[in-house]
Amino acid sequence: MRYKSQSVAYWYFAVAMVLFGLQLVFGLLSATKYLGPDPLLYILPFDVTKVIHTNLLIVWVLTGFMGATYWMIPDESRTELHSVKLAYLQLILWTLMGVSAIIGYLFRYGTGNKLLEQPLPHKIVIVICMLIFLYNIGMTIKKSGRFTTTEGVLLIGLVSSAVLFFPALLYYENYTVSIFYRWWTIHLWVEGVWMMIMGAFLAYLLIRLSGADREVMEKWLYVIVGLVFIAGILGTAHHYYWVGVPQYWLPIGGLFSALEPAALAGMAIYAYSAMRRSGLAHPNSLALHWTVGSAVFALFGAGLLGLAHTFPAVNKWTHGTLITAMHGHAAFYGAYAMIILAMITYTLPKMTYGRSEKGSSLGYWAFWLQISGMFGMTLSFATAGLGQVYLERIMGMGYLDAQLKIQVHFLMLIATGALFALGVALFIYDFFRHRPRFEADDEPVEDAPVKTRDS
Amino acid sequence: MTNRQARVFAIASTLIAALIFLILTLDSHRQFGELTNAENITPEVTRGKDVWHKYNCINCHTLFGEGAYYAPDLTKITKHRGEAYLTAYMRDPSKFYDEQTHRRLMPTQDLSEEEISDLIAFLDWVSNVDNQGWPPRPIMVTGAAVPTEFVADTDEASAAPAGDTTPVTAEDDPRAQGEYVYQTASPACTACHSTQPGVDMAGPTLAGLVTRAQAIIAAESYPGEAQDVEGYIRESIVAPSAYLVPGDMYSAGGTSFMPQGYGESLTEEQIDQLVAYLATLK
Ligand code: HEM
Ligand SMILES: [Fe+2]
Repeated sequence: MRYKSQSVAYWYFAVAMVLFGLQLVFGLLSATKYLGPDPLLYILPFDVTKVIHTNLLIVWVLTGFMGATYWMIPDESRTELHSVKLAYLQLILWTLMGVSAIIGYLFRYGTGNKLLEQPLPHKIVIVICMLIFLYNIGMTIKKSGRFTTTEGVLLIGLVSSAVLFFPALLYYENYTVSIFYRWWTIHLWVEGVWMMIMGAFLAYLLIRLSGADREVMEKWLYVIVGLVFIAGILGTAHHYYWVGVPQYWLPIGGLFSALEPAALAGMAIYAYSAMRRSGLAHPNSLALHWTVGSAVFALFGAGLLGLAHTFPAVNKWTHGTLITAMHGHAAFYGAYAMIILAMITYTLPKMTYGRSEKGSSLGYWAFWLQISGMFGMTLSFATAGLGQVYLERIMGMGYLDAQLKIQVHFLMLIATGALFALGVALFIYDFFRHRPRFEADDEPVEDAPVKTRDS
Repeated sequence: MTNRQARVFAIASTLIAALIFLILTLDSHRQFGELTNAENITPEVTRGKDVWHKYNCINCHTLFGEGAYYAPDLTKITKHRGEAYLTAYMRDPSKFYDEQTHRRLMPTQDLSEEEISDLIAFLDWVSNVDNQGWPPRPIMVTGAAVPTEFVADTDEASAAPAGDTTPVTAEDDPRAQGEYVYQTASPACTACHSTQPGVDMAGPTLAGLVTRAQAIIAAESYPGEAQDVEGYIRESIVAPSAYLVPGDMYSAGGTSFMPQGYGESLTEEQIDQLVAYLATLK
């Protein structure tokens, strides 16, 4: 750690880890309810465990993004953070918001609007936290006068995420119109501006881990961003099938969202070729596993499995089935969970005592258990979803009867989910077992000297 | 390609895509009203939407296929189930489904009577939104396969039958024609009735109907007017409440949950055919 203020990242990551653990508790609980009968029907019904599961995901991923940004910006701009106090204040506010929202959900206090269930007061706190965050980052960059492309992509991604949250604050009389704008937030986050964030972390990590040439990496980063938005913006239309909007969104959705995997393929090639070309310049090969793993798993979960149901002719049958859950899990995990775990794995040896740069065998177990667990969960959802589509949607069997026929896949889901949870438990244990360290040291600058626009 | 060219590519492609997206958004706003029958969004519908949100329905069910996948899609539910049925169901789902059988049960939500009727108004508005004829074939809550010809909604797009049952012509036996009516009436009989012995869905199984009907009309307590089995079947179709099959899941307050409109929506001839068909279910 070259800058003392980077250590705020540790606490963001620590909060993220706790919430990640909790997310899985509620996820596994939800999965057992698929098997049923449910002894908790009147204490903790499915809708409650599910809303907590998805909200914890959003909160911990955003916490991870913030932590990783607070780590990366000083490194890129070569300066201390503008204000450590503000960063902590933001974390406290944010955590209170997240935890109280979860407690509220236990009592059904929420908007009941999928993924945007946070009550209005919480949404306002989210906006305040975002503003503090962006101010702090902006001032840091401004003071340093050094602004790299990687940072620029990250910053635009973060600012746009905040802007795209805006439609979620409004009230819509018409349910169809509210669906229309809900996707401005959700889709344009995960298939738009968050991809910029992921791309920036990816570039940051690859430049450091593989010693790849910054000039080249940043050029390709631009190309990836271009590909993301050519396809991703109009690709929003793949959520506009069957919800009561004009017909023309169907062909537009089919065409443009089918181009979305190009950016994801670009990222995977980017990561792989950086690694091939420059070799392993850095001892932290576990972080490299997570980095390349993230790009590859995102290509699989988001690109391939997204493509699998993105054409209207297919989506007509799969829409609203477990096929969506199959894709959602693999995509979110590959693209966003894994990139944060990569940032954590890269930074942790610099922020804790007595941790080897190379990573421990525990760390590798965590990696492989998670990967195989999530792959198994994806397959379980896929087989369950195919069964459901065939029996319920094509053959016309009743929903409840069809669900009974696919019980075996829920068993598989729970088994592979447990494997995944074990991997996460190991990761969390590994995270907390070394004491944090808050002194700066004058380790060498890890990226090659660069020509930035203003230096 | 230089760094600069790459940057121009990124910015230009983003701007162009965003511009097209915004133009189409404006155009969509022009059409939302008509596609969603916005004039039918009464205060009742709006309150029903609030009930839908307040009780977190979307984290088990889907609407327009969006939501959670733990419970059936409700986009067209008011096309399959009448108001009386839905009201009674929402008062207490456990009267309708058994958690031991389906391993899943909707917890009672303690809705007020007004919340229930608002919710039904909202769901009814949803079911009439022009959503490109989705679902392409009805999504049933329970029961076995139904033929493609079953068309529950009013949309033209979904009205194209894929044709996997034997088509009938005017020359066919009336019983065959009756079976066709059984599957294609709106709402289809198959949405609630099975012909498998012991398979009670939203309505009782029609297997063994004739034997049962004979016993019913012979009984002292039978309040209806039918003299014979055919008469009883006809009465059940056009006046479902004339005789109530026992069970909280079939009726409440003397009114059957079966849709009351078949007397009008089916022609006299179709009813004859239906009776002829059902009278074969001994
Ligand atoms: C990192 C990138 C991605 C993430 C995190 C992601 C995540 C998700 C999630 C969570 C959902 C479920 C949303 C809901 O039900 O409310 C979803 C739906 C969907 N995704 Fe993605 N996705 C990504 C990329 C893609 C790509 C690249 C494609 C297409 C090639 C795609 C196609 C779809 C489609 C078609 C649906 C809607 C399914 C339906 O409801 O019928 N996704 N995605
Ligand atoms: Fe999407």
